[in-house]
Amino acid sequence: MKYSLVKGTVATAMLMSVTFACNDKFLDVPATGQLSSTQLTSKAGVEGVLIAAYAQLNGRGYTQTASSYNWMRGSISGGDANKGSNSGDFSAITPYETYQVLATSSEAGGKWNAMYEGISRANATLRTLATAGSDVTADDKKRISGEARFLRAHYYFELKRAFNMVPYVDETVDYGTGIDKVANNVDIWPKIEADFQYAYDNLPATQSAVGRANKWAAASYLAKTYMYEAKYSQAKTLFDLIIASGTTAGGTKYALVANYTDIFNAATETNSESVFAIQAAANTGSSDNANPDLVLNFPYNTGSNGPAGCCGFFAPSFELGNSFRTTAAGLPLLDGSYNTGANQLKTDQGIASSAAFTPDAGPVDPRLDWSVGRRGLPYLDWQNHPGLDWIRDQSFAGPYSPKKFVFYKSQDKTLTDGSSWTDGYSAINYQIIRYADVLLMAAEAEIEVGSLETARTYINQVRTRAANPTYWVKAYAGGNAANYVINTYSTAFASKDAARTAVRFERKLELSGEGHRFFDLVRWGVAATTLNNFLAYESLKLPVAYAGGKFTSGKDEYMPIPQQQIDYQGTSVLKQNPGY
Amino acid sequence: MRTSFYRLLQTTLVAVVMLLWSIHVSAQDRRLTGKITGPDGAVPGANVVLKGTQTGTSTDAEGNYSLPIRGTNPVIVISAIGYKTQELQVGNRTSYDILLVEDATALSEVVVTGYTTENRRDVTGAVATVAPAQLRVVPSTNVEQQLQGRVAGVTVITNGQPGTSSQVRVRGFGSFGGNQPLYVVDGVPTQNISFIPPDDIESTTVLKDAASASIYGARAASGVIVITTKRGQRRAQKLSVSYDGLYGVTDPGHGPKFLNPQEQADWAWQARKNDIYQGTYLTNDFNGIANGQYGTGSTPVLPDYLLVGNRSGLSASQVDLSAEAAKYNTNSTNGAVYNVIPANKQGTDWYKAITRVAPLTRHTIGFSGGTDYSRFYISLGMQNQQGIVLNNNYSRYNLRANTEFDLSKKIRIGENFQVAYIRNVGVLGSVGSQLGNGTNNNSSSATDENDVLTAFRIAPIIPVYNSFGGYAGTAAPGFNNPNNPVANRQALANNGNFNIYGFGNAYVEYDVIPNLTLRSSIGGNYYSGYSNSYGRVQYENSENNTTYTYNEGSSYGLSWTFTNTANYKQTFGKSELSVLGGIESLNTGLGRFVGGSGINPFTTDPNYVTISTTTPGATRQTYSGNGLGNKFFSVFGQARYIYNEKYILTGVVRRDGSSQFAPSNRYGVFPAVSAAWRLSSEDFMKNLPWISDLKIRGGYGIMGNSNYLSATNQYNLYASNAGNGYDINGTNNAVNAGFYRSQIGNAEAKWESSITSNIGLDGSFFNNKLEFALDFWRKDTRDLLFQLSLPGVVGTRAAAPYSNIASMRNQGIDLLVTNRGNIAGGLGYEVTLIGGLLQNQITSLAPGVPYFTAVGNSSQRLSTPVIRNEPGHPLSSFYGYKVIGLFNSKEEVAAAPTQDGAAPGRFRYADTNGDGKISDDDRQYLGSPIPKFTGSITLTLKYKGFDLNTNLYTSLGSQIFNYSKWYTDFYPSFTGAAVAARVKDSWLPTHTNTSVPIYESVSNFSTNTQANSYYVENGSYARLQYLTLGYTFPSLVLNKINFNRLRVYVSATNLLTITKYSGLDPSIGGAADTSFGVDVGNYPITRAYNVGVSLGL
Repeated sequence: MKYSLVKGTVATAMLMSVTFACNDKFLDVPATGQLSSTQLTSKAGVEGVLIAAYAQLNGRGYTQTASSYNWMRGSISGGDANKGSNSGDFSAITPYETYQVLATSSEAGGKWNAMYEGISRANATLRTLATAGSDVTADDKKRISGEARFLRAHYYFELKRAFNMVPYVDETVDYGTGIDKVANNVDIWPKIEADFQYAYDNLPATQSAVGRANKWAAASYLAKTYMYEAKYSQAKTLFDLIIASGTTAGGTKYALVANYTDIFNAATETNSESVFAIQAAANTGSSDNANPDLVLNFPYNTGSNGPAGCCGFFAPSFELGNSFRTTAAGLPLLDGSYNTGANQLKTDQGIASSAAFTPDAGPVDPRLDWSVGRRGLPYLDWQNHPGLDWIRDQSFAGPYSPKKFVFYKSQDKTLTDGSSWTDGYSAINYQIIRYADVLLMAAEAEIEVGSLETARTYINQVRTRAANPTYWVKAYAGGNAANYVINTYSTAFASKDAARTAVRFERKLELSGEGHRFFDLVRWGVAATTLNNFLAYESLKLPVAYAGGKFTSGKDEYMPIPQQQIDYQGTSVLKQNPGY
Repeated sequence: MRTSFYRLLQTTLVAVVMLLWSIHVSAQDRRLTGKITGPDGAVPGANVVLKGTQTGTSTDAEGNYSLPIRGTNPVIVISAIGYKTQELQVGNRTSYDILLVEDATALSEVVVTGYTTENRRDVTGAVATVAPAQLRVVPSTNVEQQLQGRVAGVTVITNGQPGTSSQVRVRGFGSFGGNQPLYVVDGVPTQNISFIPPDDIESTTVLKDAASASIYGARAASGVIVITTKRGQRRAQKLSVSYDGLYGVTDPGHGPKFLNPQEQADWAWQARKNDIYQGTYLTNDFNGIANGQYGTGSTPVLPDYLLVGNRSGLSASQVDLSAEAAKYNTNSTNGAVYNVIPANKQGTDWYKAITRVAPLTRHTIGFSGGTDYSRFYISLGMQNQQGIVLNNNYSRYNLRANTEFDLSKKIRIGENFQVAYIRNVGVLGSVGSQLGNGTNNNSSSATDENDVLTAFRIAPIIPVYNSFGGYAGTAAPGFNNPNNPVANRQALANNGNFNIYGFGNAYVEYDVIPNLTLRSSIGGNYYSGYSNSYGRVQYENSENNTTYTYNEGSSYGLSWTFTNTANYKQTFGKSELSVLGGIESLNTGLGRFVGGSGINPFTTDPNYVTISTTTPGATRQTYSGNGLGNKFFSVFGQARYIYNEKYILTGVVRRDGSSQFAPSNRYGVFPAVSAAWRLSSEDFMKNLPWISDLKIRGGYGIMGNSNYLSATNQYNLYASNAGNGYDINGTNNAVNAGFYRSQIGNAEAKWESSITSNIGLDGSFFNNKLEFALDFWRKDTRDLLFQLSLPGVVGTRAAAPYSNIASMRNQGIDLLVTNRGNIAGGLGYEVTLIGGLLQNQITSLAPGVPYFTAVGNSSQRLSTPVIRNEPGHPLSSFYGYKVIGLFNSKEEVAAAPTQDGAAPGRFRYADTNGDGKISDDDRQYLGSPIPKFTGSITLTLKYKGFDLNTNLYTSLGSQIFNYSKWYTDFYPSFTGAAVAARVKDSWLPTHTNTSVPIYESVSNFSTNTQANSYYVENGSYARLQYLTLGYTFPSLVLNKINFNRLRVYVSATNLLTITKYSGLDPSIGGAADTSFGVDVGNYPITRAYNVGVSLGL
């Protein structure tokens, strides 16, 4: 008995020691398929971290409205377009056209998070660069830090004009080191200027890849920042330099392209007008590289006769359509009379596709049919827009479809991502800044601090390009698709005010649907007047969509600081914007 | 079907041969044999154990047993369900026939707990067992589903979809995730038991509290379900053969009620009238409704054709069908699609169109036998079950071989092995994790716009098929975006998906001395899976997939467990001592996966399509990944002391180390103690003869948990994937890789611990006619691992670290009452009532984190999250505005607190804070999906050979967020797709006594954009789970045909469901415990009818 007890104990102990041999090392299990930050200090590693900072430009991983394109906040809130689709689908956007945004808005939260994600990636680039290995040269460091700071400035620029007061976090703070304690009580324009200035000072004019920010992109963005700060003389100085010597990252001298639609065509988008763009690519293994922010913005139920078939969002507004009306002399109706009587564009609202309809025959700016898809006219190379049949709910969305950022039939599945639920994932770049924008900003700066005549020249450059009849939209049967009449401003502006009115209207026409309008209106201090006038007109056309719409001065210029962020960081750190 | 069966045979043949070779005889000194009978004859399945040792056996179908005997004055303990446990001195006998006395108390059985077995009488923790016969009566593919309503304190939320896992929760929700119980099958831990056929199961034990479960350590914090499979008996005998067969059909029943085509048109007109009434439509006309399908007159006119080419809303006279036939084209590569869709004025029943009466077949054939020195059980089984939704099919083929041999009188070796082939196609939503380290083992949950929900949304005027045999659909304008769900289901016909599982263990036991047994076991679970799917080009819908896609992928995984235990039992006079010590190391599951996809092959003939035959180039995509699993290393011990059968004291301690934690916090030590006092054995109770047995139990323990923790939580990580690249070179078709921070690590994370206390009372009275078990329990989880939401400024694409910051409380009462007896004339009955009360509450979150939200399935179409998790409230609580009625007049709107978008017929929300304004602050808690009470009544009646079984299950006190109403009740949600019959009861100026809001175009804060109480419904229900009538042939008849046993039965399941819930089925799970109970078109549990036979040779 005793012996066997000993034997048992020994045997047990032996057995246990066998398994105890599995010591602590057994429990060290590394991560798979992912990297630690120390593995990224090589040149390729740092470059990869920088690439990820670029990748966030389109707001991927967050809501469709979080992109740097700002189709919701810049264009829908600016009156270029209405939400479209039908009343219930993605109803979180509707408050942005009626200015009834709540602090809990998911879209405000999405924009905030997407842009700070970009900032965190830019900061990660700078942190990684600080520990970079010997294969990263001093020139590399200048360039990489320049690009990283350019991108950081871009993301902050986005946040600044969306939310106004936002916390500024740079590469010196991170999770666990006080990042959540940075308050939103400081105006960050100087920080944005500093980053763009650094990029301007350190980036080369020509880059190895066309998608990179270069010196002149930084200069343009810095000048744009000055415009937002109303520092017109500093802006003008830079614009003079840019117009004289600016080149794209590929080394091409900045110039307007002859064909306006080349800007929105994946095959021709990298051109002399591209100052800085979100580079989109299709069929890369993830639709996140192919405009995930734009997939909703196509006509509805087109079948194989039209692009993507979904989802009828981002319908150009009646008011925008009317804005393209010209006088017989080919100039816009700067007095606002385009919204009255026969000046209004004739539409097929309320008319079935099977019923007859003749499109408007009056004089219009040719940019109308590059920007607005309307019944009876060619919709790129697809077919004539059939009207109601391509509209999801006309009483909510109106008669128009978006036309910029729509791919051609000839590009379907080659420049669009064929692998997903819609072909709307395309390779079309969005131009964050294009040269026409630079010229029009330069014109504004000239009007404020320089020469009205120089301003007129700049405006006329933009109009002249649009006036080239070679590129006007043609009916499939031949001949111009509509009665296009456009001319330059042939005489000097009567006054600074007249010049202002002209340049601002030119921006509306030239850059419609490109995410600028709302921010321009706020920047000019005319948002309340302009948008309440817009609502008064548009709500008669689309009463359901614009029900309850009212722009409140002093509140609706900025989105609310997302309530969830205030909940996370505390009211002592994040102060809500006025009015929310 | 047949080919896959042969494939299974091929893969397993080798294994079978290897396992069977060693059925042979080896030497043994002394053996006791005999037959155990009860008043009605032989007692199969009785347990015979040599007291004070691990040696035991059970009787075969004829009641025979054979047991090796050793030691002086050996005592055997005989126990069987339904009989009194007896202890008998063996003396010099070599043969011992025993007559058992009917006792029928559950307290007498042997229960498989921890790493050992114990007598039910001596159990000090909260332990429940389920008889296999009770499980088998539910014709489900998955044992989990059969546990519903069987054990007090176990909540099972399941669905009707074959082959999916269920949300099984033992005593509430201890953590924010990973709350699934640990399954231990033949000693091997696993988190998936989908491959186990119910007919192979011999016993199921649920360990509910720390005192009973903590021997299994950290993965057992959410309870343990111990399953043992059949093993045969160790006794020279002839081969026993059993066969169990089942055939049945499941009836999908009826879907919810919908508008018919005329009603839908009328209500579209009414919506316009309502818009005019509200002043949101400014002219008095009917232009533009449903894209003109119904004309523009003052009353709608149903068209004869919904779409002909690009014309719509046509009468028969406008269409020359033979001319259209020439233009008809559904293949866009041949030119523009030209569809011809007639109107179905009678209305299409889309629910009926996507469902079917679905057959179920199950066969299990078992062979068991043994010699004096070996035993085996081998079974072959198959189950073939169709889901009620088209092309949702499940089949399983399995082979089990359990064997055990004595190598010498002291050494035994054995193995339990199973291989299963499972094919599961057409699943809606997810199936739950397949293996190991998934922290999310939740039930299948439907996704937004799934085929069931789509059937509730698509207009009945649309037929399934067009005029020429192709598909019809919302390509006909005016009916918004639902896909043709029949086309979707039919497209799945050629998809493949199968998994092969090998599961089991091999062990050696060594009786060093008679009272000390060493055991070493190595077990594991290997699986490999394969799937492929074909995505058709759609043309019939308003939103079409216009690219043909082909996907293919495969994976494998392996989990293993290596366990070594020493078990010592000794009796000293009136004292009994048993000690268990052990060491265990395991890996929860390592594996790899690979897959790819491509588009547009030359032909879509499935025999042609492979990834290699798809269009070459960038559209071909691949993916792969690997995981190393979570590793654990543990040492544990348990000691039990029993004095005079009256006082029982048990102590357990386990030290666990897990690779999920950084070295500094890797180990945790978790003790538990429990004690019991058998009052009925005290002298002062002896004069109360009506008390057969009475025991008070108490237990207290701390359990660790890391189930919710990701494998890599300690690391800061960067990742690169296709979705974070960037086309820096402007190529339009290629990206450079980007590295983004994918995870912020936390090396400080440590074990969650839950403090569990349990007080229980077990009693049986009136000669065991009445017995009960009552438990009061509480589980306080501290240092709860919680993935802190990152502030946006940090960059939220990085996964947030898990930190130990929250706490949660679960408490409840479990009750089991059984009453049995005989009513006059040989009619016996047994009625069992099971009930569990549960209260779950988050008690704290991190400082500065007041709550966290979840959308719940995919309810992102509401502009704020539906679900909020906040201290003071249960997990996954619904949060939003409380609807106190509908505004009945403009005057009421004017007098009410300011509310955006308020108008007559719209929701009026409660001004909770009384500030005269409805704002975010007025939101409140609207309910919780966690049932407060679950229970069941099981009734068995026996008369001569007949038996009648029925079970009524009930789940009370839960709420459901019926998100599908957003689609079906609100005109503007997807205009043209809201077709619920509820609409007919909607508010009108002339019909104000209703809760259904006005049917109109406006989508705003006061209509359909907010989470509010309109969607919240009472989720309580009671369900007659089954009603079974069986007949067992008398032995007189059986002897003539050489059968041991023959029973036939007919059964109806889910016969009746009593609920107020308006959706298809009130059993609503979800993808995570922090967000469940949201109904987006659930796969319902419906009525089924079965016949079965069970026989033994």
